[in-house]
Parts: sequence; C-alpha cells; structure tokens
Amino acid sequence: MSWLSRLANVLRTSKVERDLEDELQFHIEARIDELVQTGVPRHVAEGQVARRFGSRLRLREASRDVKIVSWLESLLKDVRFGVRMLRKDAVVTGAAVMSLSLAIGACTAAFSLIDALILRPLPVRAPEQLIYLEGVFSYPHFERFREAARSQVELFAMLEAQRRRQAVFPDAGGAVENVRPQFLSGDAFHILGVQPAMGRLLAPSDDVKPGGHPVAVLSHAFWMRRFGGDPSVVGRWFTFDDRAFQIIGVADRTFPGVEPGRLVDLWVPNMMWDAEALTDPSTRWLRILGRLKPSVEPEQARSILQATFAQFRREEASRIFQPDEPRDRVQHFLNSQLYVRSAENGPSALRRDFERPLWMLAAIVGLVLLIAASNVANLFLARAAAREREMSLRLSIGAGRGRLIQQVLIESALLAIVACALGLLFAAVAGPTVVRMLAPPHNPAYLDLRVDWRVLAFLGVLGALTTMLFGLAPALRASGVAPIGVLSAASGRLTSRIRALRPLVATQVGFSLVLLFLAGLLLLSFGKLTSTNLGFTKARLMLFTIESRELPSRPDDPDETVMGERSGSGKQAHVIGLQLLEQVRRVPGVQRASLSEWALFSGTGSNSGIRLPGRALDAIRPLFLEVSPDFFETMGIRLIAGRPLEPRDAEPETRRAVVVNDAFARRYFGGERAVGRVFDRVKSAATVQLEIVGVVADARYGSVRHPAPPLVYLPFRGFRTLQVRTGGEPAVLVDTLRQAIEAVHPSLQVTDAQLQSTLVDNNMLRERLLALLSGFFAVVGLLLAAVGLYGVLSYSVVQRTKEIGIRLALGAQQLAVVRSVVTDASITMLIGAVGGLAGGLYLARFVGTFLYEVQPFDFWSLALPVGSLLCAGALAAVLPARRAARVDPVVALRYE
Amino acid sequence: MMKRHDSLQGALPLLVLKILLRRGPLHGYGITLHIETMSDEVLRVEEGSLYPALHRMEEAGWIKARWAVSEHKRRVRMYEVTAAGRRQLEAEEGRWHAVTGAVAHVLKHA
Repeated sequence: MSWLSRLANVLRTSKVERDLEDELQFHIEARIDELVQTGVPRHVAEGQVARRFGSRLRLREASRDVKIVSWLESLLKDVRFGVRMLRKDAVVTGAAVMSLSLAIGACTAAFSLIDALILRPLPVRAPEQLIYLEGVFSYPHFERFREAARSQVELFAMLEAQRRRQAVFPDAGGAVENVRPQFLSGDAFHILGVQPAMGRLLAPSDDVKPGGHPVAVLSHAFWMRRFGGDPSVVGRWFTFDDRAFQIIGVADRTFPGVEPGRLVDLWVPNMMWDAEALTDPSTRWLRILGRLKPSVEPEQARSILQATFAQFRREEASRIFQPDEPRDRVQHFLNSQLYVRSAENGPSALRRDFERPLWMLAAIVGLVLLIAASNVANLFLARAAAREREMSLRLSIGAGRGRLIQQVLIESALLAIVACALGLLFAAVAGPTVVRMLAPPHNPAYLDLRVDWRVLAFLGVLGALTTMLFGLAPALRASGVAPIGVLSAASGRLTSRIRALRPLVATQVGFSLVLLFLAGLLLLSFGKLTSTNLGFTKARLMLFTIESRELPSRPDDPDETVMGERSGSGKQAHVIGLQLLEQVRRVPGVQRASLSEWALFSGTGSNSGIRLPGRALDAIRPLFLEVSPDFFETMGIRLIAGRPLEPRDAEPETRRAVVVNDAFARRYFGGERAVGRVFDRVKSAATVQLEIVGVVADARYGSVRHPAPPLVYLPFRGFRTLQVRTGGEPAVLVDTLRQAIEAVHPSLQVTDAQLQSTLVDNNMLRERLLALLSGFFAVVGLLLAAVGLYGVLSYSVVQRTKEIGIRLALGAQQLAVVRSVVTDASITMLIGAVGGLAGGLYLARFVGTFLYEVQPFDFWSLALPVGSLLCAGALAAVLPARRAARVDPVVALRYE
Repeated sequence: MMKRHDSLQGALPLLVLKILLRRGPLHGYGITLHIETMSDEVLRVEEGSLYPALHRMEEAGWIKARWAVSEHKRRVRMYEVTAAGRRQLEAEEGRWHAVTGAVAHVLKHA
C-alpha cells in the first residue's frame, strides 16, 4: 500500500471502516450459515457467533488502528532515520540549510515588503471602492470637485507633504518633540469607516471654520509609543504648530493611516492648516481621495471630475500664461487629463518610487532561491547515488518504492522546515533593514511587516515547492534503482549519474551569471552616479534649516518687495541674515558660511518664465534661487566669468544684478558673452528686469542623474538654509552652531541640521538599494554555484578514481588527467554561462531605467560578471583537479 | 504502540502464510476454516485476533489483499502471499522448527 493511500486512509477513515465492516460481516454470516447447515437453529447460531467474535466495535478499531498507526509509525521512523542521515553529513547539511534559509528568508522578506507596500488592501471598510486623484490640488479646487461629483463619489482631502512638525505635550515639561501630523477632511474617518479606540474621531463639524477647530486624533501606535496607552490623555491639551490643540480621541489599532510607508502620529482638521492656503486656488497642497458610491464605475466619476478639472485649467491658464506664451505649452496645459486611480491599497509616494525596485529585488532573490534549491537537489542527487546500495538493499528485502520515495521526501522536507524556520528569523531582520534603506534616516519610512497568515502561507508554499523541487527528482532517482544492477556495481551507471548532475550545475551557473550581470550593471551605474562631478564640493558641508515666526523666511514674492510693497520685513530678514553669517563665521572650525532660500538637493525649487529683449517668452522656465554673496565660495562652485554677487546687489534698485549658471548662458547666449546682458523675469504679478553680472559653473540642482538646468542666482532677501563649510568633521560643531544661530535673533529656530552629502545620497536611495542588495545576492548566488560545481567535480573525481588510476598506470601525464577533469567542468560552465548571459541581456531591459551611463554591451558590463564567474569556477575546480592529479595508481587499483 | 515484527511472533501468521501458500488466495473466513479442518479442530482461530493479524501482515507486505466477488455474489476480501511473505515463511518456519524441536528435546530429556 503506497503512502498516498495511507494518507487517504487517515483522511477518509469512514471508507476504511466500511471496508472492514464488509469483511467482518461476510465472515459472521458465513459462520452462521455453516452452523445453521449443521442443524443449529439460526438464533442460537447467531448468539454463538457473536460470543466468539467479542466486541465487534473493538475489533474494528484494532484493525483500523493498524492501518493508520502503522503509517504514522513509519513516518516517525523515516523522520528519525532522516535526522540521522542528515546529521551524518553535518557539514553538507549545514551548508544546505544555511543557503536555503538565506534564500527562503530573502524571498519571505521580499514578499512581506511587497505585501506591505503594494499588495495589502487598506484596513478600512470596502477598500475596493476607494479611489484617489493623481496630482496635488488646492483647497478651493478640492471643494469644487467634491460638489461636482457628490452623487458619484464621496471625496475627502489630506495634506500631501510629509513633514515633521513640533509639538509640546503637557507631560514633557516644555520639551519640544517632533510629530508626524496628517491634516485631513473632517468626514474622512467616516468615509473610510474607521472606528475610534478611545474618545471620538474627527467629524464633519470639526472642519468648518478656518483656524476654529483645535482638535487632534492620535494614531494608536503613537498613543502606545508616546503615552503607553494612557486613556487619560483624551481631553488633554498640547501645543502644536504654536497653537493649543485638544486630544479628542485615538483611532483604531488597525488603522495606521491611508498611505503605506508613512507613519501618522496625529490627525488634525484641514481647517487648521494655513488660513491663506484654504482660499488660494494656486496653493496646491492636498491629495484627494474618495469612496465611490455603490455601482458607480471609476470612469463615470472620472468623466465628471474631468469636466471640473478642465474648468480649473482654463481659469488658471488665463492667470499664469502671458500673451506671448508658446502655443504648445498652453495647449498641453489645457488638454491635460485627470487620472483617477484605485486607492484600494492606499496611494503611496513610497510605492511610486520603490514598486519597481522591489519587484526587481523579488526576482533577484527568486533566482537565489532557485540556485540554492538546485544546490540542495545536487547534494541529494549525489547522496542518492551514494545511497544506491542502501536503497537497493531495502528494495530487495521487500520495501516498496513508495516507501523509499517517502524516505527521501521526508529528508528534504526536514531540511525545508528547518530552512523555513531560520528563513523566518532572517526575514525578521532583513525586512526592517530594507525598510531603513527606502527613506532618508531623518524621515524614515514605516511599513507594517507583521508576520500574518499571508506571510506564513507564502512561507509554507515556498517550503513545499522547494521540497518538491529539490526532493522529488532525487527521490524518484533513488527509488528507481534496479537492485541487481547496483549490487553488482556497474561503473557505467555511476558515470551516467554524474552526467545527470550536469544540467543542474549548468542551470546554477546560468542563474548566477544572470544575477552577476544584472548586479554588475546596477553596481557600475551606482559607482558612476556616486563619482559624478556635481559641480560643487559636498564634503564637510553642514546645512541648517532655520525657521522664524516673525521674519518671512521666504517672502512670497521677492520682486514685490523690491517694488516697495513689503520691503520692511524683507529688508529685516536680509539684515538679520548678514548678522547671522557674521556670528557663524566667528565659530572656531568654520571656514565659510552662506545663506540660501533652500539647499541644493532639497527637492525644492521655484521657476518662472523669462523673456529676452526682442524675443518671445521662452518655452522653458529657468529655476531661480536666492543666495547670499558668498554662496559660490562656500559651495565650491567655480566662477567662470564676471563677478560673484555682492552685498550691495540686494539694495532695492530698479535693475537687479544676478549670476547665472553655465547652462543658462549656453542656452540663451550660445558662445556669446553673457555678462552684461539683461532679461525679464515674468511673474503673474509683475515683470522684473535682471542684469547678468557673472556666470558660474554648472552645479547639479536636484538630481545626480540629470545635468544642471538653467538657473538664475538672485541676491537673497529671505533665507531658510544656512550652509557651513567646516575644516574638520562638521557633526561635532552642530550644537555650538545651533546655539550661535539662535542667539542672533530670538525668533530664529533651527529645525533641522544635516550634511549636504546626506541630501545628495538621499537622491540615490533607489539606486543604492538596488546596487547593494543585488550585489549581495549576486555574491551569494556565485558562492552557491561555486559550491555546487565543487561538489559535483569532487564527486566525479572520487567516482573516477579507478579509471584515473588505470590511466596513470598506463603512463598518462598528470596534466592530461587534470585536463580531463577541468574540461568536464569548463563545458558545463560554458553552457551555463551562455544561457545566463543570454538571459541577462534579455532581462537588462527591465533594469534600464535605473542605469546611469552604463550599457549592457559595455566592456565592463560583460567583463565583470564573466570574470567573477571564471574566478569562482577556477577556485571550485582547483581542489578536485589537484586530487585527481594526486591519485596514486596503486592505491586506486587496490580500492576495488 | 505495537512493534510490527514483535507482534507477528506467534504461530498464527506462520499458519496463515502456510495455508495461503498451499491453497492460493483465500478470504478471512476461508483461512479460519482451513486452519480448523487441517488441525482437526484442535486449533481454533479466534476471529478477534485473525483480522488484526491479517491487516498487520498486509502492512508488513507479507500478504496482499484485493476485493473480489464470492460465488454467493458477496463482496469479499481475498488474501494472497507475496514474495516477501514467502521469504518470511521460510525464515519463520525454520525458526519454529528450531524452537519446537528444542522444546520437544527439553520435554523428552528433562
């Protein structure tokens, strides 16, 4: 009886019982008939037989138990035997378990990341009805969208930007803490269907009057982390954004917010956002989400929203475009589409950036798993060959083939279970590590990487698949031996067994080359990116973000201040800025310091149209950045022509002096001299004439990948960022500098301090993640492939010891013997390498968008993976080849 | 629970194997009848122990069973000796003779 039908017995015991019942019933009736024939009355015979049989029920149980118990018993025996067999080869087993658990763990980590960021639906009521509008919108626009589509979809809005803000809680003794707030519509919780864990949530009545609803709802995680789940915090007041807010409740534990990757500490009503922004249609700060009414298709809602959107565009076009605006740009603007996307799994900026990299990593770790599994299959095949005698012996004493397959499968299942358990541990460490790599350290991403049934189911399927993958072939092979053939030890069969390992090794080599190739491309790209000449010196450059309540840190429109409308405050900021620079430069260790509106690579920018004398408005809008005069020296940006900015350039004049970058000079003046030329900066409110006094070299502005865009440096009037170049390690000066800055003026506050190099590195997070992880797994894959190759080669040398001995005895050179071993390996590797390279070149298109100045057919792109594979292959072949060369003919021939 | 080989130490499996080998496929009732007739009703088979024994032997692979239809159109389970069963019988028979011989020897000379 095969183990399958035994398993079926366990699952369908009623069938077994029916069969037994039939069998016994027949016996009883036959016995009664016999007695009746000898003249005993039927009822007497029945009684007699019943007594003889005893309890029929007990009998049935005993018989059934034999079937089920003996199966369980054989299973247990196989498990014990399997453990013994695996422990006998502790080193090999250990290596197999380690590689397998690494691969399974990596796959599990990849799955839990992808599940958390991409697949898992939002934990709210009917998430499939949720949608979001692509883009960022102003509050007036949101209100008109909401009215227009009221019958189709319930819309709500929330703050799009993620920025930490400062709060002071009553129990902290005045200490300032950073919190992650989420401004959102009052009816958002109701539309989402979120319940409170404590107190109440925001209601529509909390979101009516600008500035009139100082209430906040805490997230459950924040409540637990910050207040230890203290219920008395509800009703308490705290300071947030320099205003008093009351905590009215805590959201349900299951609701972390609507944006995967983003941690929310507290929710406050949109009405508490900047009052001006609530009425200004050109300040765009909201993400719009909504729930479709039952049986409304997304397209129906979209077409209604599109009409409203087109109306906004027309209104905006008349406001922002000049009469001489290029026609294409106006048309493009007017015809743009509004996209409605499913928000079932929540809109996520993190997903937008990392969806593709994560899938790529998943494919990479999938390949590692295949390599690891084929390595284990290799091991089991080799062992199956070594166990042929054991198997054939067991076959010949009557063990069923099914029994032998069961034995081998149990051994592989044991291995897989251990690997899964270790893999889960590995994933528990690896998952959070990857999450940390997704976002800059000062603004970490948050992903809920819990081990739930989805992860466990994935792990289970993975374990079962790998067991099948590496266990079944060896199992069939091992049990398929013909006792006679093996017991007489025909050597021909053994070589054919080694041949059977070759496709596996070739596959491994192929997969690992695919990995090496892709990882090589990503690593080379990353290397190119990090060594790109940025046009400024990022080393030892500290950036301080400075905010001030009283001074406009960034005047809404610097040109208007020049026109005399708000010059008072603008001028004050300028003066304080100069004082600040003087103070900072006195701090020992500071070499240079400068101020700017914002830092390079901060992700912020401001652009406006320009018009050269006698020409129409230009099709592109250059960037504008206000800087203090010594900005170029501090940043290490080289002056090409003319002079840098000077303090007097900031004095109100009708014509303002500016410095442009080389990209600007090239675009507008070609080879001609740019210094001394004038152009108009065209803004909706006013047009200002600017004069170029100098040209500086290009400095990358917001992206390492892209060359500097045309950029105009204006004399500063407000500031937000202070650059400090230090002589030594800048981190040690942070506290001293912070005190020096805040001592200049009571309203100044340092809200952030970080290195310029960090900002630049944050620009390459995706590339860094891909390069590091793919590089790591490529090395793992290469190691595994090398181990596989080594195993097969040394096994084949052992099996051919006799043949090699004979050849050496007949006068063959050692070199020839080594060559025969190496040739074998080389052919296998060559086949694998050709396949791998073809696969790699095919897959290269999927990583194309992440490459930078690297092509798949470049010399290094090809040489790096092939070279490392050759090295690993050579290393793997050295020991077996040496062993082959050292075979002593006498010993080898005595062996049999 | 029971150790498979130990539980088959008694004489019943030996008799069952011998009868099945001599008479060909039989059902459980047939086996009882044969044992009883051949031993002149001296050996009486306990139905209570026969079926568990048969099933254990089947598990051990000494006999195999299949469903057949009897002359009275009843569904019956027929048992048959396997190659492994034959080897087992040889070994068991030899051991049985040795043991009984030894016992007889002791009885005779004690």
